[in-house]
Amino acid sequence: MAEEEQQPVVQETTKKTTHTYPLLRKSDMSEEAIQETMDLVVTACEKFAANNELAARMIKETMDKKYGPPFNVVVGEGYGFQITYETKNLLYMFFGGNLAILAWKC
Amino acid sequence: MPKKKKSQDDEFEEWKKSKQLLKPKDQLELADWEMKEPHARILLTHNPLKPDGLVEWSFAEGSFIPLHPPSNYVVALDIKGTLMHRLSPEGLAQLAGDTGLPAEDEEEKEEVEVEEGEQKLEEGEPKPAEVPAEAKPEDEEGEKGEEGAEGGEEGQPAEAAPPAEAEAKGDAEDDEEGKPSKPKKLTNQFNYSDRAAQTYNLPTRSQETQTIPPPKENFSSNVLQWIIYDDYLTDYNRQQAELELERLAREAQKAPITKHAPPPPKKSGGRAQLSEAVQARVAQCWKTLERMINQNINDEINKDYKYWDDPSDQYREEEGTLLPLWKFTYEKTRKHSVTDLQWSPWYYDLVAASLGYFDHMKPLDTGYLCLYSLKNPSYPEYICQTQSAVMTVDNHPDHPYMIVIGLYDGNTIVYNIQASCKTPAYKSDEVTQKHRGIVWDVTWRPDLPDGELNYYSIGADGNVNHWILLQTEMSVTTIITLCMDKEPLRGPDGTQVILKSTPSCIKFHPSNRDVFLVGTEEGLIYKCSTSYSATYLFTYRAHSLAVYRMDYNYFNSNIFVSGSADWRVKIWEDNRHEPLYVFDLGAFVGDVKWAPYSSTVLAAGTIDGKLSVFDLNISKYKPICIQAVVSKKKNKLTRIRFNQRFPIILVGDEKGMITALKLSPNLRVPCKPPKKMQHLDQTTLQIMKLDKLLSVVREPVVLERPPDPAASQATTK
Repeated sequence: MAEEEQQPVVQETTKKTTHTYPLLRKSDMSEEAIQETMDLVVTACEKFAANNELAARMIKETMDKKYGPPFNVVVGEGYGFQITYETKNLLYMFFGGNLAILAWKC
Repeated sequence: MPKKKKSQDDEFEEWKKSKQLLKPKDQLELADWEMKEPHARILLTHNPLKPDGLVEWSFAEGSFIPLHPPSNYVVALDIKGTLMHRLSPEGLAQLAGDTGLPAEDEEEKEEVEVEEGEQKLEEGEPKPAEVPAEAKPEDEEGEKGEEGAEGGEEGQPAEAAPPAEAEAKGDAEDDEEGKPSKPKKLTNQFNYSDRAAQTYNLPTRSQETQTIPPPKENFSSNVLQWIIYDDYLTDYNRQQAELELERLAREAQKAPITKHAPPPPKKSGGRAQLSEAVQARVAQCWKTLERMINQNINDEINKDYKYWDDPSDQYREEEGTLLPLWKFTYEKTRKHSVTDLQWSPWYYDLVAASLGYFDHMKPLDTGYLCLYSLKNPSYPEYICQTQSAVMTVDNHPDHPYMIVIGLYDGNTIVYNIQASCKTPAYKSDEVTQKHRGIVWDVTWRPDLPDGELNYYSIGADGNVNHWILLQTEMSVTTIITLCMDKEPLRGPDGTQVILKSTPSCIKFHPSNRDVFLVGTEEGLIYKCSTSYSATYLFTYRAHSLAVYRMDYNYFNSNIFVSGSADWRVKIWEDNRHEPLYVFDLGAFVGDVKWAPYSSTVLAAGTIDGKLSVFDLNISKYKPICIQAVVSKKKNKLTRIRFNQRFPIILVGDEKGMITALKLSPNLRVPCKPPKKMQHLDQTTLQIMKLDKLLSVVREPVVLERPPDPAASQATTK
C-alpha cells in the first residue's frame, strides 16, 4: 500500500525537482555558529533519518555542550510554534526537503 | 556548757554587767556551788523507754498473750541504696538483663490508661458545673481524675522504662545467644545531667542583587510541507538567478565591447542597487524634462534648423551664408579648446568633442570628452573626465559606444560610454605602451578577422601605433616610425641621433584598407602602408609648415585636401607631387573638410575665427562663403566637422564652445543631371562633376608616371 502511494508522489517530485540541501530560514547567530549548527543538524538528521526524536536529542545535547544549556530543539515535518528565545541563539532551517529544524536557547 | 562559760568568762562578765538577763519565773535559784557541782551522765545499753511486759488480747484464746519485747534498735533514718552487689541475686539478674518488676508495672499502666480514658470521656461530656445535683459525683470523679493524673505522672517513668528494658532484654538475649560469659556494660539510665552550650550566633544580613536578564525575542512560524516546498523553490530560483547574474557579469568583464552589449545586469536585492535603479528612472524623467525645456527655449532655432532657408540666396549668384544655430558649452570646459569633433556614426544628432588645449604655455590639468546632443545644447549627454588634456577623439563606426581618445600625456583611452563614463574600458599602459609625446590623432579601423577592435594612433614621438583590444588589455604594435630623410645628427660620444618627424594627423584611405596618409609638422605628407614599416609609398612635400588636417574626398578617394599652418589649403591627387588646387586663406588653417554631400565643396576653418566654404565647381579661386564664426581677438577657431545627413557644420573654438551652423541653399546645390543622362543618380553625377574639374588641372607629365601598386586598387574603384 505504502509503496503504491509513494510512487506517484515520487514521480511528481522528480518532475518538480525537490531540493534536499539545508536551507537556512532564520538565524541570528554568528556566521561560524550558523555553519557549525547547520553541519550538526545535517549530521544528526542523516544519522537518525527515521527518528526525529533522536535527531533532536542529539542536536540538543551537542548544542548544550557547545553553546551552553538550555537549548531546545524541534525536528518535525509539520508544526506551528511561537517561542521566546535568547537573542543570538536561534536557528530555523529546512533540511531534506520535508524537515523543519528549530533550535533555540531559553 | 560550764566550760563554755569559763572560756568566755571575761567577755560574758562585761556583757552581763551592762545587760539584765531575763529569767523564767519558775527557775530554780541555785547556789554557786550547786551550780558548779558536776553531774555525770552514763549511756547504757539498757533502754529506759523500752516498755516491758507488753501484752495483746487474743480473742481466740480469750486471754492476754505476752508479746515479744521490742528490739533494742530504733530506726531513725532509712534510705535504700541503688547499689547492689554483683554477686547478689538481684545483681546477677540485672547483669542478665532481667528486671524484677514487669507484671506490676503493666498492671499499673493499664489502670492509668483506663482512668485517663474515663477522664477524657467525662471532660468531653457537655455537662458543665451549672447543675448542682450532679456536683458531688463530679467532684468525686474529679478526685479520681486527679489521682489518675498523679498515677499518670508516676506512670511516665514506668512507661519510659519498658523500652529501655526491652532493649536491654534484646541485647541480653543477643548476648546470651552469642557470648553469654561476657558481662554486659550497663548504661546509666538515671544518673545523668544535661549540659548545653550555645556558640555565639553571628548576626545575619541579607543582601540581594539581580542581573539583567539576557535579551529575548519572540519568533513564531508554521511548518507545513508546502511552505517548506515553496521556500526551497524560491531559494533555488534565487540561486539560479544569482548564478545567471554571475555568469553575465563574468562575460561582461571578459568582453565589455561585445557588439550588442546586453543591458546592464539588474542585480536582484540590495537596497543600494534598488535606489540606483530608482535614481536612474528619476534621472530619465529629469532628462526628458530637460529636453522639453530646451526644446521650448530653442524653439526658434529648432524651426530655423528644420525649415528656414536663407531667401536671399535666390538673388545671390554663387554665394552662400551660414546661419548660426546652437552653441554647445559646458561650464567646466570654458578654458579648454575643442581639439576634435566627431559625429556619432549611429545617431545623427550626437557629437563627440574632445577638450584639451593647443596653447602649450597655458597647460590645463584636466581634459574632457563630452558628447553633446543637438536636442540638448545646454549640457553634455556624456562627460568623461581625464587626467590629461584630450587631444583627439574617434567614434567606432560599427560600435558607436566605443570611443577612443588620445591624451596630451601620450596615453590613449578607450571608453565604453554605454557601460561607464567614469572608468575607461581600456587604457594604455603608462610605462610600456604610451606614446612619448602628445597623441595627435587616433582613428578606428574595421574589425580584424577575429572580431577584435583595433585603432591607430599617432604620437609626437614619430610612431604610428596599432592597438588591438583584447579581453582585458590592449596590445600595441608600432607600424611605422616616421624618420626624416636627412642624415642622422651626430650626438655626443659618437652616437647618431636619427631625426624623427612629428606626425600631426593620420587619414586612412577610404577604400584601400592598408594605405594611409600621415601629415607631419614638417609640412610633409607621407603615404604609408601598414604592410611596410620602413618605407613610404609616397612623400608629398606639401607645405612649408605643419600640416594640421587632411581629408579624403567622399566621392573620389584619389583626391584629398590638406590644411596647414602656412595659411594654405591644398587639394592633392594621389601620387602627384604637385597640388591640383591651392588656396591661401591668410591665417593658420586649423581644419579642412570635404562636404559629404558634394564632391566639390570643402570647408576650412582658420585660426582668425573665419569659416570658408569653397565650391570648386563655382569658383576655383575664392571661397563662396566666408563667415566669421567667433571673435577674432578673443577666440580662435580650431576644428570643423560636417554632419553626414544634414546641412550642418560644427565649429569648435578655443573657449570650449561648439557652434552649429546651417549651410544656406547656395552652399549645397545638388547637381543637375544633363538632359541626356537623366537616369544617373546624384553620386555618379558628383563624381562626374569632379572628374570634369580635375581633367582641366591635371598635367600630362604626371599621367605618364607608372602607377603605384597600392594606389592602383583605389583608382580602379
